[in-house]
Amino acid sequence: MKVAVAAVVLLAAASAAGARPVATPGVTSNSILIGGTIPLTGEAAAAAGVARGAEAYFKYVNARGGVFGRKITYKYVDDGYEPQRTFLAVRQLVQQDGVFAIFNSLGTSNNAAIRGFLNQAGVPQLFVASGASTFGRDAKKYPWTIGYIPTYSAEGRVYARYLLKRKPGAKIAVLYQDDDYGKELVSGLQAGLGKKKGLIVKKVGYDPTASDVRSEVAALKASKANVFMIFAFGKFAIQAFIAANQLGWRPQIVVNDVAAATSLMQLSPPKATEGALSIVFGKDPDGPTWKRDKGMKLFRSVMKRYAAGQTPNGYYAAGMAAAYTLVDTLKKAGKNLTRKSVMTAATHLNEKSNPFVLPGIRIRTTPSDRFPISQVRLERWHKGHWVLFGPLLSAKP
Amino acid sequence: MTEFSQQVVSGLASGGIYASLALAVVIVYRSSGVINFAQGEMATFATFLAWTFLHHGISYWPAFALTLAIAFAGGVALERVVIRPVEGRPVLTVVILTIGLLILVNGATQWIWGGATRKFPSPFSTRPVHVGSAAFSIQDLGIVGVSLASVALLTLFFRFTKLGLGLRAAAVNPEESRLVGVRVGWMLALGWGLAAALGAVSGMMVAPVVFLDPNMMQGVLLYAFAAAVLGGLASPVGAVVGGLALGVVLNLLGTYVSTFGGQMRLVGGLGVILAVLLIRPTGLFGRTAVRRV
Amino acid sequence: MSRRLALHAAWFVPGALVVAFLPRFISSYHALEWARVGFYFVALLGLNVLTGYSGQISLGHGAFMAIGGYTSAILIAHHGMRDVWTIPLAGLVAGGVGLAFGLPALRLRGLYLALATFGVAVAFPALVQKFDHFTGGSAGLVLTLHPNDWLYYLTWAIAGAGLVLGWLVLATPIGRSFRALRDSEVAAVSSGISPALYKTLAFGISAFYAGIAGALVAISGAYVTPQTFPISLSLFLVVGMAVGGIGSLPGSVVGAILIQFLPTYASHLSEQAPQVIEGAILVGVMLLLPGGAAGLLRLVQSSRQP
Repeated sequence: MKVAVAAVVLLAAASAAGARPVATPGVTSNSILIGGTIPLTGEAAAAAGVARGAEAYFKYVNARGGVFGRKITYKYVDDGYEPQRTFLAVRQLVQQDGVFAIFNSLGTSNNAAIRGFLNQAGVPQLFVASGASTFGRDAKKYPWTIGYIPTYSAEGRVYARYLLKRKPGAKIAVLYQDDDYGKELVSGLQAGLGKKKGLIVKKVGYDPTASDVRSEVAALKASKANVFMIFAFGKFAIQAFIAANQLGWRPQIVVNDVAAATSLMQLSPPKATEGALSIVFGKDPDGPTWKRDKGMKLFRSVMKRYAAGQTPNGYYAAGMAAAYTLVDTLKKAGKNLTRKSVMTAATHLNEKSNPFVLPGIRIRTTPSDRFPISQVRLERWHKGHWVLFGPLLSAKP
Repeated sequence: MTEFSQQVVSGLASGGIYASLALAVVIVYRSSGVINFAQGEMATFATFLAWTFLHHGISYWPAFALTLAIAFAGGVALERVVIRPVEGRPVLTVVILTIGLLILVNGATQWIWGGATRKFPSPFSTRPVHVGSAAFSIQDLGIVGVSLASVALLTLFFRFTKLGLGLRAAAVNPEESRLVGVRVGWMLALGWGLAAALGAVSGMMVAPVVFLDPNMMQGVLLYAFAAAVLGGLASPVGAVVGGLALGVVLNLLGTYVSTFGGQMRLVGGLGVILAVLLIRPTGLFGRTAVRRV
Repeated sequence: MSRRLALHAAWFVPGALVVAFLPRFISSYHALEWARVGFYFVALLGLNVLTGYSGQISLGHGAFMAIGGYTSAILIAHHGMRDVWTIPLAGLVAGGVGLAFGLPALRLRGLYLALATFGVAVAFPALVQKFDHFTGGSAGLVLTLHPNDWLYYLTWAIAGAGLVLGWLVLATPIGRSFRALRDSEVAAVSSGISPALYKTLAFGISAFYAGIAGALVAISGAYVTPQTFPISLSLFLVVGMAVGGIGSLPGSVVGAILIQFLPTYASHLSEQAPQVIEGAILVGVMLLLPGGAAGLLRLVQSSRQP
């Protein structure tokens, strides 16, 4: 009998000791520390706005009391777009700084470099700033990772469906960046065309470290295609527009979302870009369409107050959209914020009121469907800015 | 056949870009026997300076001239302050020094102007011109033309002016040149100044095509080296011919030999460097140097 | 000889003790950083043999690291080999390529060799991308993760072995021949040393070291892509070698520390301009202290002697 009582007492003591909650790294009663990496220098430095926009939004939220009284600190580190540096920076953020989660890191290879480590360490990798479908698709292997923007392969499919409907006799030429990013766009296009894959008469890849792509464009023109898909990045997209124009080639041009930022499109002469198509999921701060929109007014006021001196553009808006979703997720995760609760929240999203994405887009996730934004609209470049047309389209991978 | 002629024409246009930077590389080599790995970055920096002048309302040709002058002065200063002290030291020291300059100048450009891509105007029209079935723009012709004109001016300078003669003498035989009164030190500085100015020209020709950003010349540098090596490192004419030839050859290879598309162009450029250095190190236009024991 | 031995032991033993006990005093993340110093050290050992001892410049040693790194990664990812066993294989493969490269490299001197190796380093990632069914292309290869302390001990055990091995090789007549070649090739040839043999051998040895360092890069990062070994790596190796002191094996530690920590500290000083500082340091060292850290030490030592 005495032994039994002693055993029960011991057991109770042991379970009481074990029941003491282990502190969640990066979370205190009044703060949450979030980490991320972004190219502040190097070839992709133009995209730095993604982090800065998010940072501004967090400051805005903090000024209103934060999330359940916790203020969000967003520590983002420059990785120069190099996966090696991303890897080290994230190791440091997790092991040294003890961040709660990694958020909004930019770059496909960059996120792939840190995914294994983060999943092994049980650190959430939230709202990856890359459209590679692997970040949503491989959830079984990497349960702590979730993407955000529409995937590149879904984007390719949207274009395919549009062409099949509106230009069934198209002869398609494709210029693509010769890496995962470009190749996924191409495979999405091919998958979307299905049996009509043969509509693609020529595709040419280019080296992302090259200086110009005119030779590739000339080769594509020689195929006599009447649709020209530009699956490129930054300045190469501009060069492709200009080269096509200079060669006297006037196909229907389709340019991928990432290369379609208004600030970039405006670098090409209007004659070269008029009529080009793309998709979009966010509200464009550089165009006239959303000037009076409440969401964009919020965007501008947040930028003015918390990111003074910086020029807002599409990247900042995209970052702010992701930040909005993160705040939403943190709220859903509840007062008792743990890494597990935030992942549960992130995989059960049903966000209808993100002010920075197109009206009607619902940011939805389930544990098996980890593609938060999977709706887009088509837009056409007309007289110096993007004009939306058509309904909301599905961009499910 | 249409595509062939188009690729040749596009190749000449790209080749013009390689040639213009190759010229700068060759001038430095010719005057101090050194390869300046930072040549591309210096050209980019100068182009950004030009952009700043244009942005402040100065019109094109005055901005162009001002940039050239500053680039020239910068090159001279660089040689006197940074390269002079390591004259005569082992090759490796100088190579490492220019690599340090590469890192430094690239960093400075990023720091001052940031990483965003900018437009840069061209003095030439970008209207397409059709010759038969091939199309190119006046701008492409302009780039090639400027390279050819630079080479012609340089050749005249080296052959027919006292200064040019002094430069050549100082490069070939410093000791004896000093004996006949050539200010060898200033000749070397002049060479670097000229090269910096040529680099600035190259940058301002190239930026309208590839758009101005701090890493603009990195895609060109290897091809510029290949062009310089192909032409014979000490020959300005060789640099231009080498550049144009390289542009055409790489384009044709890329179009007709599927292995050489996309990223493999770089391997093509490397192949040229290796082939020339191993088979005929003096390139197409160089002369064999005799090493005295 | 025994005096030198004593001198070197005087450095080596305390050094080894520091290395062995360091992880107990530093955080896990710092252990990872020091592990990286370790593999840069291995790469620099090799580069110093090539440049400091046989007088050949290589601006492309990152490519040999890439060969080693990818050999290791392919064996682990595609053939399920255990990481540690891939390391010597990576070294051998890279070393073999180095020997093969060394032969035509004989025809290239100084600047020409610098140019050729620069070209190799720039073009190499493209080759990796091209053979993507082999190398995983731009998606890269994912490998097993290891704890930081384990990586630290692995790297430094190998570094220590590499240092001892290198020192032994250089203490033999092979080392003497290398030094003779470096000081005056013409004189060396006339005393019967075959430059072809030794120069090629030097390439092979240095590539072997670089390959091993590359394998360690792959294993510690648990992921390789064509961008893991960019041209900037090759350039930084040369920087590290120069700052440490060309030809100085202990100087390689200084160089390795510089490569690993300078970018971090430079960005503390100025968020936007770490490169400016790195470049300025490099230019400054070349101008003022071309012998690097080892040269500085020699200066100090010689100024102490009567």
